[in-house]
Order: sequence, then C-alpha cells, then structure tokens
Amino acid sequence: MKKRWIELRINNESYDLAVEPQRTLLEVLREDLGLTGAKEACGTGECGACTVLIDGKPILSCLTLAAEAQGKEIVTIEGLTRGANLHPLQKAFIQYGAIQCGYCTSGMILNAKSILDENPKPSREEIIKGLEGNLCRCTGYNKIVEAIMEASKGED
Amino acid sequence: MRIPKFEYFRPSSIEEVCSLLYKYKEDAKVLAGGTDLFVKMKKKEIHPKVLISLKGTPNLDKIEWDDGGDLRIGPLVTHAAIVNHPMIRGKYDFLAETCFKIGTRQVRYMGTLVGNICNASPSSDAAAPLLVLESKIKTLHLYGERIIPIEEFFIGPFQTVLDPQEMVVEIQIPKPPPHSAGSYLYLRKASSVGETLVGVAALLAKEPRERICKEIRIALSSVGPTPIRAKAAERILRGKRLEEERVREAAQAASDETQPRSRAWYRKEMSKVLVERSIIQAMEKVQ
Repeated sequence: MKKRWIELRINNESYDLAVEPQRTLLEVLREDLGLTGAKEACGTGECGACTVLIDGKPILSCLTLAAEAQGKEIVTIEGLTRGANLHPLQKAFIQYGAIQCGYCTSGMILNAKSILDENPKPSREEIIKGLEGNLCRCTGYNKIVEAIMEASKGED
Repeated sequence: MRIPKFEYFRPSSIEEVCSLLYKYKEDAKVLAGGTDLFVKMKKKEIHPKVLISLKGTPNLDKIEWDDGGDLRIGPLVTHAAIVNHPMIRGKYDFLAETCFKIGTRQVRYMGTLVGNICNASPSSDAAAPLLVLESKIKTLHLYGERIIPIEEFFIGPFQTVLDPQEMVVEIQIPKPPPHSAGSYLYLRKASSVGETLVGVAALLAKEPRERICKEIRIALSSVGPTPIRAKAAERILRGKRLEEERVREAAQAASDETQPRSRAWYRKEMSKVLVERSIIQAMEKVQ
C-alpha cells in the first residue's frame, strides 16, 4: 500500500516518517525509531506490554496505527527521565525490586503514571484495578503495587 | 503480529465517511477505537480492504443531552469518557459502572461504546444496560437515516442489522422513568481480559415508599447468541407488589429465557442468582 507522510511528536521531539497505513505505532517506535522500550508480547491488547501515553492516556500501541497518532503527544518510557534523573516511578520500581524479567515494566510504569496523573493518591484497590491490563508473567505484582504506592507518596 | 494491508481513509466529514462506505460496501470497515477490529484483522478473522477512520471527523466524541432530556452518545465516545463523566455517573450510574468493567484500563481509553455495540459480541457488557434503558441506535447511510431500537439491533453472534453501507452515528438513551434506578451485575471468566460469563442489568421504577413495581426491565448478556431482554420475567413483576417470592419467580423466568451454549447449567443458575440480586439492588437504590 502507498506510504503516507506523517509527523509524530514523541517525547517532545518531532519525527517525519513515511509509513504504510497498516503499520502500528509499536512497529514504528521499535523498528523505525529504535525506541525499543515498548514491547510486543501478545499483540492483541491483553498484556499491556506495548502501553505508551498518547495525550496522557494509556494506549496500546500494538492496536494503534501510527497514522492515527498524528498530531498527538506520545510519551514512551524513554521520555520519562528528566535529564539524567529517573522518574519517581522508575526509582520506586528499582527500590522495591518491582522488576524481574523486565518485559512488562515499561508498560507498567507508563500506565502507573497515567493512574497517578488522574488520581494522585489512589488506594491499593484502585491501583490493582488500574493495572488489570498489564500482565506480569513473573507474577511479581505485589512489589509493583508497593512501588506505585511509594511513588504516590512523593508526588506532592 | 502484523495487521494485514489495507487502504486507509481519514475523511473530515460524516458525509465523506458515508460516501466511502457507499462506494466500498462490504470491503470497508469503519475504524473507531480499533480494539476489536485490529484483533480480528491480526487473527485473520476478517479481511477488510479499506478502513475508514473516524478520527479525522470533528465532534464525534460528544456526550450531549437534547431538549427532551435524551442522552446522545457519539461514535468516538470511549468507555473511559463515560466512566469519567460526572452527569452519567450521577444519572446513569449503572451504565458508568458497566463501562468501568469493560476490557482493561487501556481498552477503556481506546474502545468506544458505539464500537462495542457494533461488534455485537454476545458477551457485550454495554448491551445489557443499554437494553434496559431502551436505547436507540441512529444510523446514517449516504441516502438516508434510521433509528433502530437496540432490541432489534443484534441478530446473532457478532451480527447486527447494520448494512455494510451504513454507520452508527449516535446511541440515544431516553430519560429513565421517574423514581427508577438501575443495576448491572456480572460474573467474569478468570482470563486476561475477564470476559463476562453472565451479565445482568435491571431497571426498576416504583414510588419511593411503596412496593408496587411500576416498571421493570431486565436484560442479560453472554447467555445466548445475542444479548436479550427477559420479557416473561418482566411481566411477572410489572404492576405487582415486590415480594421476595415473586422476585424469585421472575428470576427463574429470566433464567428460562436464556440459551447459553457452553457451561449451560452454570450460566442458567447464575442468571437466576444475578437477576434476583440486580432487581433487589435496583429496588434499594430507588429514591
């Protein structure tokens, strides 16, 4: 199919790209731009490993066309650091050992960011409900929830 | 997993969407949230040659009330937008609660209510509350429009009365009867997306301190080829005194109206349990 020119805004930078319409945002991020933080696991919207933020909302990049993300602000895990400083959520994940194989981590952190942006002081239950679309195959959920609770304390 | 190739259109008006649908007919699919469409395309269950994105057309994500008090939900209104809407949480709390159950957090931010209905899954959560609210589906075709009662919209698993050249432009939800309240209860499978095993919505109207049932509507999803209204069960209660025994009788009647394919005994039993509970919950909520 004919390629289309699109402009994507990712982590505060603009990229002009020629993409075929069927290509997903995830494919373009990983294969064209080398932003490999977002992962493909299930490819069908069940696992959340491909979660990125579009206009602040948690979106499955494996089910989003790159062409549909035009004109929006995309944030990937690579864009979460502030200069050399890790984001408080990233620090909390390290502090609590909320990482095992790491495959779910970037999706977990970005979805967690959107949860805290919407509700800075979520309860444990609200965090668990919010993370229902992020699967951790290592099943290290407790530490992930604790890390998010910890990060929510420091967000004042 | 890759999405097979297709031709992509992103029109800037609803008329253009209709013209494209008119031209490409069954070769085309309308793209809203994409959470069902792309999964089906990746799994090679459907092979549209053309996708028509609604994202280039303004004002399709509106939640509005018309002069008569009917709620109108546009085709790009996401489940999250309904969950987060203060007036829907107030007046249609059980619809908001239902949307909060759908999919996962990410799916709720992508998927749309109209898309959920058009996908016509027998286990669609949204269908049950929309059935008891007696919603209407407004469709547009290049040469005309239709208003379809939601009860007539579903005709089989993943099948609706929609013509390939037609698109849904609005769900219209009439003002609920006075002194009414609704509830939605469900059982879910223990799977990654927690698909609904039995979903039950009830809407009940009665005078606040009385026990006469002025209106009752019961709908079930995931217990037959399409979501259904349990009309026989409703007839047992409508106009009658709400008593424990009668509610139980209605719940049994609703269960008898279901046609579950798999795990039939369990689904029928749980239909009975959830219908009874949802009627009681709605009753307790009426003010």
